[in-house]
Amino acid sequence: MSYPPQQPPYGQQPYPPQGQPYPPQGQPYPPQGQPYPPQGQQQYQQAYQQTQAAMQMPPQGQFGAPLPQAAGGAGPTVHDVNSLPVNDNVNPYAFSVDLNGSYYLQKGKMIAYYGEIRFSGIGRGVIDQMLERNFNSPLHASDWVVAEGRGKLLLADRAFDLNSYDLENGNLTVRSGNLLAFEPTLQLKQSIIPGFLTLIGTGKFVAASNGPVHFVEPPIRVDPQALVGWADCPAPCHHYDHSYMHGLIGGLRHLTGLGGASGEEHQFEFIGAGQVLLQSTETLMAERSVGQVHAEAGVPGSGVPHQPGGHGGQQLPNVNVPGLGNVNLGDLGRRFGF
Amino acid sequence: MAGDSVKARNGTMVAYTGQMNFKKMSGGGDGLRGMVTRRLTGEQMEVMEVKGQGTCYFADRATEVNLVRLNGETLYVESDNLLCTEATLHTGTSFTGLNGMASGNGLFTTKVEGHGWAALTSKGPAIILRVSQGMPLRVDPGAYVAHTGNLNRNLKSGAGWTTLIGEGGGEAMQVEFSGEGLVYVQPSEKMTFGGDV
Repeated sequence: MSYPPQQPPYGQQPYPPQGQPYPPQGQPYPPQGQPYPPQGQQQYQQAYQQTQAAMQMPPQGQFGAPLPQAAGGAGPTVHDVNSLPVNDNVNPYAFSVDLNGSYYLQKGKMIAYYGEIRFSGIGRGVIDQMLERNFNSPLHASDWVVAEGRGKLLLADRAFDLNSYDLENGNLTVRSGNLLAFEPTLQLKQSIIPGFLTLIGTGKFVAASNGPVHFVEPPIRVDPQALVGWADCPAPCHHYDHSYMHGLIGGLRHLTGLGGASGEEHQFEFIGAGQVLLQSTETLMAERSVGQVHAEAGVPGSGVPHQPGGHGGQQLPNVNVPGLGNVNLGDLGRRFGF
Repeated sequence: MAGDSVKARNGTMVAYTGQMNFKKMSGGGDGLRGMVTRRLTGEQMEVMEVKGQGTCYFADRATEVNLVRLNGETLYVESDNLLCTEATLHTGTSFTGLNGMASGNGLFTTKVEGHGWAALTSKGPAIILRVSQGMPLRVDPGAYVAHTGNLNRNLKSGAGWTTLIGEGGGEAMQVEFSGEGLVYVQPSEKMTFGGDV
């Protein structure tokens, strides 16, 4: 299992951020008194010294604030088919795939490409055979597209952060809305946890997140909205802040908000060895349908094809008190000890 | 700025130091003929002229701002994406033909010509892609921001019968750029008809 957490989150070759014509973060505006095309290049470049250390440095002065003499009248980083990175990020929000063969991607995430590439919906002809190999459930396959051919393909998703990950004979479970593209050497399976997909095998995949992704090792408890996915460790369980939610006082607090609810009484708990992927905001990405499971006894989520919000199974099982109706009283009854 | 002026989209000024005057320019600041053209073409742009001494900051909904230097070239940009230009640049409209309409970007686009700096907004930093002979580029219409140079736009449709039954490739509409020039794309897709098929 290679899941190198020490790897920079945007892939092995950091994109050259100093090439962007906008002022980098941390220094949102050019220093006062200077004309807009900032002359303070030195400062900007210093801000990125750490990231630059590991990568091959373009000659200084080639990047930085756009020079008035720039050829073609353009900003400094001009990519063409040869200079685009190979299977790596162009910037935090766009990923370049060096396509030679096929690649699976979510519908509508291509922004541009060079070369001869065909996009075909999954589920017909030759592709049907690939489908059999790579998707366990044909039911969600219509959200995916096969890109076939040769060329450089740029992917992006509503300006969310993109990261690529390498799996080596491993498995990783990811929230369905976050998975953007993957190599056909990987198999995509529907997780038994509603709203999650599992990738198994060896290969590269691209996932989107709202803000950069952090890798943490279990044991850890995470906020449900910050969870992007996990690799290798056992599937998480729910954890509730027991003392805060327990008993009559806890129930009243929960229902009325009196005494204050912190909003953090519920977490996902991870144990074992592996990696947990967290995003740095609590804004969820829109969930993709992962397909319906067969309604069958013992299958979690069956009969509940799509649970909005992404944290399926968050409610405690309802144990209804006979004669009291069905108005969430099971939960209440437990709380108040009826 | 030292007494010179800048053309900017209305309402994009966020702060300034020094002395500034803001004057609304009707009809995109292209004069009477430009105004009429803009009205007719629907490529409307509310523009103000900012004049004065000091530093003026422009921003629009926290989108990325990309600077483009023009030395006599023509920049074609969607009017939504043009933030401000130096007064030395002229803006106008240009006909993109059916390509634009089919991709949901409208029949017309904004043309910026002259010598100076123009600022473009994009959702996420724009990626600049070079197009040269024998190396055409195909772009999702929703991700297209602007282009410069001598480029031909062609609409390329990948839609086939499978699109109609809902099993299309999701990328049914693409704009193909061929020739010599640079294309600016954003890492995000606007809601267009083409992006939805």
